[in-house]
Amino acid sequence: MDVAEKKQVRKLKKSSLLWKTFKSQKMLYAMSLPFVAWVFVFNYLPVWGWTMAFQNYIPGNPFWQQEWVGFYHFIQLFQDERFFLALRNTLAMSFLGLLFGFTIPIVFAILLNEVRHSLFKRVTQTITYLPHFVSWVVVAGIVTKMLSTDGGIINDLLVGMGILDQPYQFMAEGKWFWSIVTISDIWKEMGWNAIIFLAAIAGLDPQLYEAAKVDGASRFRQIWHITLPGIRPTILVVLILNIGHLIQIGFEKQMLLSNSLVMEYAEVLELYALNYGIGLGQFSYGTAIGIFNSVVSIFLLLLANGIFKRYSNQSVM
Amino acid sequence: MRVWEKSLQLIFILLLLLWLVACQNSEESGSSEDNQTNEESTEANGSSSDESDSVTLTVFDSDTNPDWVEDMDTPVGRKIKEDTGVTLDAEFDIEGGETKIPLMTASGDYPDLIVSKGAGQLVDAEALVDLAPLIEEHAPNIKEMLGEDGINRLKWSEDDPSIYVLTTSPVDDQAMTPGYGAWIQHAVVKELEYPEIKTLDDLKNVIKEYKELYPEFDGQPTIGLTMNTDSWRIQSSFLNSGFMMTGASDDGEYYVDPETYEATLHYRRPAEKEVFQWWNEMNAEGLVDSEMFVQKSDQFDSKLSSGRVLATIGPDYLMYNAQEALRENGMEERMYGVYPVTLNEEYKNHTYQSNGLQVGWGISITEDCEDPVRAIKFLDYLASEETQIMLNWGIEGEHHEIVDGKRVIPEEEWEKRNSDQDYLKKTGIGYNFARFAPRYGDGVLDSSGQPFTTNTRELAIANQTNIEKEVLEAYGVELWQDLFPLADEFPVKPWGAAYNISIPANSELQTHNQRALDITKQLVPKAILENPNQFDAVWDEFMTSLENANIEKAEEEYTKLIQEKVELWSK
Repeated sequence: MDVAEKKQVRKLKKSSLLWKTFKSQKMLYAMSLPFVAWVFVFNYLPVWGWTMAFQNYIPGNPFWQQEWVGFYHFIQLFQDERFFLALRNTLAMSFLGLLFGFTIPIVFAILLNEVRHSLFKRVTQTITYLPHFVSWVVVAGIVTKMLSTDGGIINDLLVGMGILDQPYQFMAEGKWFWSIVTISDIWKEMGWNAIIFLAAIAGLDPQLYEAAKVDGASRFRQIWHITLPGIRPTILVVLILNIGHLIQIGFEKQMLLSNSLVMEYAEVLELYALNYGIGLGQFSYGTAIGIFNSVVSIFLLLLANGIFKRYSNQSVM
Repeated sequence: MRVWEKSLQLIFILLLLLWLVACQNSEESGSSEDNQTNEESTEANGSSSDESDSVTLTVFDSDTNPDWVEDMDTPVGRKIKEDTGVTLDAEFDIEGGETKIPLMTASGDYPDLIVSKGAGQLVDAEALVDLAPLIEEHAPNIKEMLGEDGINRLKWSEDDPSIYVLTTSPVDDQAMTPGYGAWIQHAVVKELEYPEIKTLDDLKNVIKEYKELYPEFDGQPTIGLTMNTDSWRIQSSFLNSGFMMTGASDDGEYYVDPETYEATLHYRRPAEKEVFQWWNEMNAEGLVDSEMFVQKSDQFDSKLSSGRVLATIGPDYLMYNAQEALRENGMEERMYGVYPVTLNEEYKNHTYQSNGLQVGWGISITEDCEDPVRAIKFLDYLASEETQIMLNWGIEGEHHEIVDGKRVIPEEEWEKRNSDQDYLKKTGIGYNFARFAPRYGDGVLDSSGQPFTTNTRELAIANQTNIEKEVLEAYGVELWQDLFPLADEFPVKPWGAAYNISIPANSELQTHNQRALDITKQLVPKAILENPNQFDAVWDEFMTSLENANIEKAEEEYTKLIQEKVELWSK
């Protein structure tokens, strides 16, 4: 009897506690309501559209008149070699992006933090994040012009320095495409992505550095033992989120930088979904690709989160 | 000190805000004035037309239009607004509606009018209004222009004889400028003393000789041959060279046998391999621009405009920008003439073969349009004789004059037409509005016996540059057209143009076509850039990839579509 009663009491206490916190924070809840509604409308309602993947969807017809086909579109998808090509390209470019596009901003943020001259620091920071606001259309134009064999600055430089005998057609070689995308992405996003790390570094307690200095730590030691561990939580959160987005790398840069010669290396999943799904009016097929993307993303996110939780007690969830 | 600084900041912010507000105000007052004048003009007209209440029709057009002016604020645009009370709120697409139209069908929100390149999806989504009764009742001008046969061709299919798409193609067109050919700089042929240019080998020799003579132009290396291969343009320039050089006319990706109506993916014709082999040789000899398959459209234009590209192959509409720029910069000897080149003399250039009335691509009224009658009346207005004349010649007294009952464009106006790149934008003449309705083609005469378009033979000749005249004279003709075999030498294609035949959405054929196109876009350029001794291997790979992609089945289905169309139209 004792045990049961205790449980009852604890339950009651717990629920009344919940109610209490809710009551005392009701303004906070009210304020978050619009955002909950926003997420619900834009992120949860569209999931209803997933039903399309199991139909032969014809736009304009009401829902109950659509023909149900089960997993037909998924079977088609997994039988298409082009899909696996797109998957390979997506993963390759996102891993490259993760490897460089993630580490370089951290290194950059740390280096920038070490700069003493504050004007130089600010100017550099501004200049490096400005490209973030430039549209990919423009960036693609700049990259194509720079790599052009016809007076492009890169080829002129390489030939001028005697590294190449004659201009090299970078844009026509599939094997260069991934690097070109990764490098231009780094150029465009490095400064922007470094901001969050710079902010994290700025939040570190200066006393730690002072203490280290007193103990005779060099600049490098200070970075290693104070700065890096200090921003570790930030790094991990950003990394987990990035892994969640691995498969959704967008398609603008691939679409704009590619040409027919490098398509084999440029077609990413979203481009594939665009061409074979929406482009051909096969909405069901496109949706099937979308579902595949989402499921893989969720899986990756949970995986990364789980791993970090186990080894470092850090997680986003 | 602090306070002082703060107040300075405040003043600055206030000034900024004031300035913003002021800007907005001035804009508003500007536009309200406009409104007033518009109202006045419609009022003034109200008595003459019974449709004085103005209405705005939204329209989506699958093609770009750099000449469009918002609110139709051009002389011609204002006149149209005045006459019909209709203002078009237009959206122009850059990729042929390939993404936007599917998105529309997905969302179910349509503009009032859609200009599409194939309306299969829209019809399946039941988005379009049947135009047949509307045309019958409200569109005498369209009926007159297209004739009964033409209207018959507009019918959708055997099972569904509704009319969903009103063609926007020219009627009875005998284009003054050839639609496809090899374009060579006047300076090149002049320098080489007007050699005969009939085959691809002739073309190669010309380019080679001239390039050896002048390896540099203006301090930059001369480019022998380049092409515009940016996105879909690779089909209309480079890939089309396959059949254009081997005695066929443009049927999209398929070649249609004129006797059996059997469709073959055109690359699978043995003759075309030789054409692409020629490209491969050209590349191996360094006569082709190394950036040909990489460059974007604007790079192509700027290369041609610099005057250092000796030749290109492609449709006329990809040449306009460069030709105009060259003319404007006074580099007339670097402008291009067009020659009917074929693989060898066995083949005739089929550029001028008539498709009959082209249907399939055109304008449709959607279910979302509140007043389809008003819309069809507007389209009918565009198709009327007076409007057609205005769209080509401009407004009387402003852009052309009538002398002795004939329309004449004054000298200075011609000067503007030829050299001002923004002429169409400033006046609203031309394709700006002509694109929304069927129109009379070049060479068609109006009720007074004068041609509808300004592309008359006389005007075309008057319009030539001196060097162009010189070149043409050397070849013993008056116009580029005269070098080509003309339409009367060929039968009219009973299936129209195959690329106009709409493929049912969601069909296997559509997927097969897309797959074949993907393979083609990748492997044909690859074959061209390979070593000549590797060409055969890559070409074989191309052929087997196509077969693996079920191309034979696609050909069968396409054949069926074409045969159905021929049957439907011959009734």
